Amino acid sequence: MAERSGAGTVRDLDRVLADLRALSEDIESCAVLSGDRDLIFSSHEPGVDRERVGAMLAALVYLSERVARESGKGNISQLRIDAGGGHLLVVQLDGGGVLAATTGQEARVGLVLYDMRNSRGEVEKALAERGDQ
Amino acid sequence: MKKLLRGLFLLGALAGAVYAARGYLQGRSPAKETVQIVFDDGSVRSLDSNTTQGQEFTDIARKLVETGL
Repeated sequence: MAERSGAGTVRDLDRVLADLRALSEDIESCAVLSGDRDLIFSSHEPGVDRERVGAMLAALVYLSERVARESGKGNISQLRIDAGGGHLLVVQLDGGGVLAATTGQEARVGLVLYDMRNSRGEVEKALAERGDQ
Repeated sequence: MKKLLRGLFLLGALAGAVYAARGYLQGRSPAKETVQIVFDDGSVRSLDSNTTQGQEFTDIARKLVETGL
């Protein structure tokens, strides 16, 4: 079940992310965070605290940016966390937003990241049309 | 007395076997938690979850993987 924030339609974003999930069956859930750290799209199950998911995802982005600063690097382009029971994958979007996904432990993570990177342009386009970038 | 000693010996052997089996099974559990960050210049930084910095990432990620995004 997809949930959205904000008024206007996000049909394009829904379609892009539905295509991504259909293409990459290892993806269990996905979300899009805007450059302002607002949760634009989330595929979470009903009952999960939406605000909490957005805040945790924003915290991860903040931590990544902190590591980038401490390492003397610019921006991050990709984050992969192997977290016990599964993987959390994050791909940076233009404008500071991120596309995130979770997978199971046995997922083909490289392939999922490849598909996420390929969908990045479409997600950016949908966000730009919505005025979130 | 002899019976008691034999009982204690068997009990000790059983406890040792359980301990060894537990260690063997724990040794096999994979699930190593790691963090890999790729920067826009193509360089990569890896963090192990046994570091403070790595643990910050894995603690949040574990919850997100459990609940879904």
